[in-house]
Amino acid sequence: MDEAPRVLVVDDEAPIRLLCRVNLEAEEMTVLEAADGISGLEAARTERPDVILLDVMMPGLDGWRVAEQLLDDPDTRGIPIVFLTARAELRDRARGLDLGGLDYVTKPFNPVELAALIRDVIARVEGGEREELRRAKLAELRTLIEER
Amino acid sequence: MGPVRKERKFIPSFWRRSAGRRAAEERASLRERELRSIEAISAALSHADDAESIARVLLDEIAALLSVEFAGLALVDEERNEANGLLARLDGKDFTFWRGLRFDLRREPSGIASAVFDVAPVTVFDTDTSPVINRAVAGSIGAKSAAFVPLVSGERVIAVLAIATTHERRSFSTEELGPLRTLAAEAALALERARSAAALEEALDRQRALLSAAQVVTGELQVEPVLQVLVDQVAQLLEADAADCYLFTPDRGSLRCAAVRGLDPTVVGFEFPVGYGLAGRAIAEGAPVRDTDYQHIEEPIPHPAYGGFAGAIVAPMTWSGQTRGVLGVGSLDPTRVFSDADVDALATFATLASLALRNAESFEESERLARVESGFSRIASLLGEPVSVAATLDAVAQAAAEAFGGDVAAVLTSGADGYRLAGAHDVPDDLRAAFAEGLPPGAEVLDVAAQEARTIASATLDDDERFGDGFRATAEAASLLAIPIPAPRSDRHAVALVLFREPHVFTDEDLDLAGQLATRAKAALERSELFDVERRSRLLAQQLAQTGGLFSGELEPAAVLDEVVEQAPVLLRADASSIRLLEGDELVTAAAVGPGTQQTQGSRVPADARPGGAVVHSGAPVAIEDVAGEQALLEGEPMLGDRYVSYLAVPLFGADENLQGVLAVYARRPRVWQEEEIEALGALAASASVAFSKAELYQQVELERERSVAILGNVADGIVAVERDERIVLWNAAAERITGVPSEEALGRTVPEVLQRELRSETGAAAGDRLVPIRRGDQEVWLSLTEAVMRDPLGETAGRIFAFRDISAERVVEQMRSDFVSTVSHELRAPLTSIYGFAATLLREDVKFEEDERRTFLTYIESEAERLTTIVDKLLSVARLDAGDLQLEIAPVDVRALVSEVVESAREEAFNGHEIIVELPESPLAARTDRDKLRQVLASLVENAVRFSPGGGQVTVGAARRGETIVVSVVDQGIGIADTEQDRIFSKFYRVGDAQTGGTGVGLFIAQGLVSALGGRITVRSAEGRGSSFVVELPARDADGHNR
Repeated sequence: MDEAPRVLVVDDEAPIRLLCRVNLEAEEMTVLEAADGISGLEAARTERPDVILLDVMMPGLDGWRVAEQLLDDPDTRGIPIVFLTARAELRDRARGLDLGGLDYVTKPFNPVELAALIRDVIARVEGGEREELRRAKLAELRTLIEER
Repeated sequence: MGPVRKERKFIPSFWRRSAGRRAAEERASLRERELRSIEAISAALSHADDAESIARVLLDEIAALLSVEFAGLALVDEERNEANGLLARLDGKDFTFWRGLRFDLRREPSGIASAVFDVAPVTVFDTDTSPVINRAVAGSIGAKSAAFVPLVSGERVIAVLAIATTHERRSFSTEELGPLRTLAAEAALALERARSAAALEEALDRQRALLSAAQVVTGELQVEPVLQVLVDQVAQLLEADAADCYLFTPDRGSLRCAAVRGLDPTVVGFEFPVGYGLAGRAIAEGAPVRDTDYQHIEEPIPHPAYGGFAGAIVAPMTWSGQTRGVLGVGSLDPTRVFSDADVDALATFATLASLALRNAESFEESERLARVESGFSRIASLLGEPVSVAATLDAVAQAAAEAFGGDVAAVLTSGADGYRLAGAHDVPDDLRAAFAEGLPPGAEVLDVAAQEARTIASATLDDDERFGDGFRATAEAASLLAIPIPAPRSDRHAVALVLFREPHVFTDEDLDLAGQLATRAKAALERSELFDVERRSRLLAQQLAQTGGLFSGELEPAAVLDEVVEQAPVLLRADASSIRLLEGDELVTAAAVGPGTQQTQGSRVPADARPGGAVVHSGAPVAIEDVAGEQALLEGEPMLGDRYVSYLAVPLFGADENLQGVLAVYARRPRVWQEEEIEALGALAASASVAFSKAELYQQVELERERSVAILGNVADGIVAVERDERIVLWNAAAERITGVPSEEALGRTVPEVLQRELRSETGAAAGDRLVPIRRGDQEVWLSLTEAVMRDPLGETAGRIFAFRDISAERVVEQMRSDFVSTVSHELRAPLTSIYGFAATLLREDVKFEEDERRTFLTYIESEAERLTTIVDKLLSVARLDAGDLQLEIAPVDVRALVSEVVESAREEAFNGHEIIVELPESPLAARTDRDKLRQVLASLVENAVRFSPGGGQVTVGAARRGETIVVSVVDQGIGIADTEQDRIFSKFYRVGDAQTGGTGVGLFIAQGLVSALGGRITVRSAEGRGSSFVVELPARDADGHNR
């Protein structure tokens, strides 16, 4: 990776955005912020970040719809999306992966590990393993569901 | 040349003859006259049709031809014993002396006799000297010379022609005799012809007589008239003075006079032994017997009427070797001698008579057969109607009487209670009365005849010891015939009895006829029985149908039983009836009808005691013709005994095929229960069972129905029933309430018509509850629905029943609870994430944070921890509100200051550019209340105002006193609340809008709960898309806690 990865954080909670920023910048990443779904979409289209950390429960346009629109748009389709949400139920996680998200981080999370996760996602996607990654996550999830 | 030569030839011949011209001319003349005479005679004779005419022609011609004064003709009898003068001409006139002149050919010499015996002409030159001449006759004629020429026919001399001269003697030359002989031959032929014509005439007469006799014989079929005609005719034909006919009666060995002619009519019926007299001889010889001297036969005459007779012929009447009688003729005139032809004629008549007899007999037989046939055809025609067994039995009696020519006929049958008069024809009242109580004394042998199928023929009943005196006196009959006939089905034996007033001799034919009668009677009875069975079955069926109708409408079980016992005796023409129902191991009388049955009501007999027990045991009908005092039966069935002796019972089955009881009928007299009667009672029992079960069921159903109506009316669940055709038949009060559709609108329509949607499951398998939303007005109502499918016995859907509850509220609460869990989880996770995240960040050793950064992180940890506390407080508040366990800390509170505080706090958190405007009075708003609770309410309202105004805008928070009330209002310009939701927003867990809006959904619930606890109220006014206004009203209390 030649340049510092640019990460767009879409979340309506200011403390969460700050949390992401300080920890990612500490790992040499550039952090962009959006406080709701619509500005998140806007930022994604204009800034073309390398990864998007997307909250689900937001006033107005929620994370699911943001993801759908991004993945529908050829310009933004290639940007890996990692859901970052308090919705911890397995069915929500499945929904996120089904929509096209590549990973799913449930709150509360350890912000220190966030950068490594993002780096891994970027590497896998650049390595052409985007689908493999998603399938691996789905399989992981399925195992979890079956274990229940 | 021809003619010349011919002529020349002729002339010499002429001349040659002219030598003796005179003689030749004389000869020619004579010859010519001869020829002319012969021609004339022949012609004349050919026209003459009787002997006298022939004689007249012959004699006149001969006299002229031979120039003789006398010519006469005498006829010779066949035996050549005598000749009789027929006609004579003397000097051209009839010589009457000649007529009737009798010549005894054998005893007296005469020219006629000579001619007869010589069979050749005889000439006498001098009658005076000739020895062959009858001088008396010759003298009376005055004959000088004579000639006699026999008239021969077939080598027999039938007559003699006599010619004589009275003036001079002359000899008759052979030349003269030649033509005479020729004429004689012609005359003989003519005579013979005439004679045969006469014979023919006579034969024709006889033939005519025979023919007319035969016509009578064949035309008249009664034997007596035939015989009368025959004796009349034969007497006439044979010119007899008397004729009679006797018939042979073999059983008495006598001849009995059947017809007379010319005799005292009382002779008819007279009898004499068969071997007697001429008749006896004729019968013995098998041929006619002639007696010329009737008075001198050995035996005395059989009857005085026969006195004075001279000659007689008796001919036997035989037919195919059998002597049937004799036919006789007699003559009072001793000179009247019966010829062979007469004998033959009588024999012919005798044959005719026997033929007539035979005919008449066979006619009588066929007539009798015809009568039998007509008797049976009457049966048949009656059957065609068709007739009952009773009518057939009468017809059998009639047929028997007619077949045998009897005067009285009866058919006796033996049933359970002995013999009875079942069929009658001309039975006098006395005899009827005699049979009223079974077979009368002295007639027991009739039972034997019936039982052993033996025909009894009694020709002379008076002497017949097989019958008792009493019966013989009652019968008043000379002869009797008893014929066993097959009994009708209901009886054991039957016998047809025929009584004859006149003695009747029974023949083999009678026995045959008896057999035939039995056979025909059997067939007739079988048919009529079939008819009877059919008719009875039909009647029974009709009655059953009526009966079934009677109690099919009966809905009271006891009334059904009463109706059944009423109907059963009517149906079977029985005398009583009962129904016993099975209770445990006893049969209990549930209903009974008929004399003497009252005391049996409620009586009990063991369920295993015959005869009812037999029905219970076998489940089949039990028929008892006659209990005959059998103790076991009397004990098992108290109705039987003195009053009732015959019993028929069938099982009563319940709807579940279990035996319920016994239906019985009783008869006073022994009775054979017919198959169709048993079946009919069974059918009655079956329909009774059905009606009974139906009535029971009806009662149950009625009870159930009332119960169901009560239950359904009061049940909280909506109950809807639809028929097979999907029409609604039940729509209870709860259904009305839940759906908002009154039952009168729903009944008769389909569910989709009423509710705009189906209730039944798509799959048809309706297992468990389903959630179905329907519209009630503009509201959506959620139904928890169960469905039951009713199936008919074929497995087809016969209807459905839906039961449902309105779970709209529950459903919303459930949904809200579910949302609450995830919302609370989210609400908790958000501050936790910050606290945990900033703590973890601060603990990073690889990054060195600036002091202000560290402070920011710690501040976030602090505020997020507070937020967490708030959330937990809310949850606790909910729990307390739910538990009614809210602790209030009432103290003086300045509401104005509290509002400012809350707004200040909110402003710190507002981030979407909301402008929070505060409208407060100049002075404090004092109230006694729980400060923390009120703060919580206000914070919640402001938070909501911000949260539901995503697009920013103004949030106006105001507080004021209105009279005794502190009014706090929070007004936003947000998304607003739909009218339909406004009454629900205070519900626990209810949240406006989608889940992403955040919030736990308990804020307003808690707010309302707290406000209410504080003695105030909270209201909302809102317009969707324009914003909401929440108003909290609290009682304003002074510092002492009193309202001001």
